[in-house]
Amino acid sequence: MSETSTIDATASMAAAELADRRSRRDAPSARRAPAWLRPRVWLPTAITFAVAAFLWQFVAITNPYVIPTLDAIGASLAGDPAMYWANFLVTLQEVVIGAASGIVAGFLLAVVMAEFRLIERAVMPLVVVVMVTPIVAIAPALVVAFGFGMMPKYIVTALVVFFPMLVNSLAGLRDVDVKALDVFRTLHASKWEIFRDLRFPGCMPYVFAGLRIALPLAVVGAAVAEFVAAGQQAGLGSLVTTSAAQANLPVTWASIALLCVMGVLLVSLLAVVRKRVLWWSDGEVVAR
Amino acid sequence: MSAAVIDAGVRVSNVSKSFGADGSRVTVLDDVSLTIGMGEFVSVIGPSGCGKSTLLKVVAGLIDADGGTVQIDGSTVRAAAADKRIGLVPQSPALLPWRTVLDNVRLPLTVNRRADAGRAIRDPKELLASFGLGHAMQKYPGQLSGGMQQRAAIARAFVFDPAIMLMDEPFSALDEMNRDQQRLGLLDFWQSNRKAVLFVTHSVPEAIMLSDRIVVMAAHPGRIDRIIDVDLPRPRTEEAYASDEFRELERVVRTALHEVMGGAHV
Ligand SMILES: Nc1ncnc2c1ncn2[C@@H]1O[C@H](COP(=O)(O)OP(=O)(O)OP(=O)(O)O)[C@@H](O)[C@H]1O
Ligand SMILES: [Mg+2]
Repeated sequence: MSETSTIDATASMAAAELADRRSRRDAPSARRAPAWLRPRVWLPTAITFAVAAFLWQFVAITNPYVIPTLDAIGASLAGDPAMYWANFLVTLQEVVIGAASGIVAGFLLAVVMAEFRLIERAVMPLVVVVMVTPIVAIAPALVVAFGFGMMPKYIVTALVVFFPMLVNSLAGLRDVDVKALDVFRTLHASKWEIFRDLRFPGCMPYVFAGLRIALPLAVVGAAVAEFVAAGQQAGLGSLVTTSAAQANLPVTWASIALLCVMGVLLVSLLAVVRKRVLWWSDGEVVAR
Repeated sequence: MSAAVIDAGVRVSNVSKSFGADGSRVTVLDDVSLTIGMGEFVSVIGPSGCGKSTLLKVVAGLIDADGGTVQIDGSTVRAAAADKRIGLVPQSPALLPWRTVLDNVRLPLTVNRRADAGRAIRDPKELLASFGLGHAMQKYPGQLSGGMQQRAAIARAFVFDPAIMLMDEPFSALDEMNRDQQRLGLLDFWQSNRKAVLFVTHSVPEAIMLSDRIVVMAAHPGRIDRIIDVDLPRPRTEEAYASDEFRELERVVRTALHEVMGGAHV
C-alpha cells in the first residue's frame, strides 16, 4: 500500500465529486418566507371562512330555533369560561390517555405481528371482528361493565385509535428497504439491531400516516363515549347531549366548537412533530 | 495457521440453485465453481437474468444454494458473516436517509459488535475523506448526488475491513460520465487497499479496467462459460483505456458475450 497512490486516489475522488456537485440537490436549510404569509395562500381560506360565517349568521337570525348566532355562542363561552375549560380538560384527558394507550398497544402488536407471521394469522381475524363492531354499540356495554367513571371512555377512545395504528405500523414495518436489509444481514446484525436501526426509524412515515387518522378519531371516540355515559365527570360530549336536551343551543354549539378546536390542535401538533421527526422522508405515505 | 493461508479468499464449489415450484423449476445456477484469491478483483458479466445476482447473493449468504459449497477464508458463509467478513455494496446505495453520511458509514461498527474484537477497523472520517466525501460527512444522503451516495455505500462496506467485497452493479444507476469517474475512483482506492472483490457488471470496459479476471456467464441454465484473464499491468489509470491491449481484451470479451448470447447483439 503506497502513500502516493492513496493521494492519487484522493485526487481522483475529488474530481469525481466536482462532477457530482452540478447535480446535487439543494440543502433543506435554504430558507424562504413561510408560505402562509403570502396572501395567495391565506386569502382564499379567509374568504371561505368569512362567507361561511355570514351564511351562518343569516340562517341563525332568520331561524332562531335552528342554530344560535355566532355572538350568542361567543357570549356563552365568555360567560362561563371556567365551566367550558373544565369540560374541555375532561375530554382532553380521555383523548390523551385513551389515544396514548391505543397508539402504544397498536404499535406493539404490529411489531409482534411483523416478527411472527403466526401471531398475525392467529390474532388478526379477531382484531378485524372487533373493529367492524360499531363503537357506538360497544360503548353502553362498556358502561355496564366499568361504570360511569373514566374507564369506559379510555377504552372506547383506545379502541378507535388501535386499528389504524396497528394496520399502518404493520405496513411500515413490512415495507423495509430490502437492499438495506441485505446489508444488515451480511453484517449478521441481530433481529433487535435490525429493528432498532432499520425497521423502527423506517416505519415512521407509516406511523405518522396512522396518527393522522387516529387522532381525529380519538376525539370522536371520547365524544361518543360521553354521549352514552355522561357520568360524574361530564366533558364536552356530555355537555352537547345535556344542553341539546334542554334546547340550550348556544351551549351545545359552543361545546361542538371546542371539540372542533381540540381536533385542530391535535392535528396541528402532529404536523409540527412530523416535520421535526420525518424531515428525511420525501413523501407522505397514504394511510390505510 | 497454514491451512487458513492456503484457503484464503473465496472458493465456490459446484454451486447450483433453482427457483420455482416442482412443475416449473428453473435452474439459475448450474454447477458453478470459482475461486477468488486474496486481493483479487473478479468481475462477473453475462446476459440479463443469467444468475449473476443470484451467485452474488449465495456468496453473501443471503440465499442458500441447493447444492455445492462456498468457503470464505476456509470457513462457511454463515461463519464468515457472523465474523463480519463480508462487505456488500448493493445496486442501489441503500443508505439510511435519517442518518448522516458519517453515521451511515459507521453503521457496520454499531451492529454485531462481537465480531469487532482484534480487527483493523478503519477511521470512518479518514475513509470518507479518501473517497472524496470529507466535506459531506455531516450531510444526509438526500443532499448528495447519486455518485456520492454510491461512494458512501462503498465506504460503508470498507470500514470494517471485510475479507471479501461483493458489489452488484454499483454504478449502473449513474450516467455514463459519472460512472467512469466513480469506476476510476474505486480502481484507485482498491489498488491501494487490495481486497478480494466479486463485482457484477454489465459494462465490458468497466470489467476490463477493474478486474484481474472476468467471468463470462451464460444463461438458461446460468453457468460459467469461460474465464478471461486481464493481464493489463497495475496500477492502472485512465490511460489504459487507450492501449492496444485494452482494445484487444474488449474484442475478446465482446466476442465471448456474443457467443454466449447465441449471436444476439450485446
Ligand atoms: N427469488 C427468486 N424467485 C424466483 N426466481 C428468481 C428469484 N431470484 C431470481 N430469480 C430468477 O433467476 C434468474 C436469475 O436472476 P438474477 O437476478 O440472478 O439475474 P442477473 O444475472 O443478476 O440479471 P440482471 O443482469 O438483469 O441483474 C432470473 O430469471 C430470475 O427471474
Ligand atoms: Mg442482477
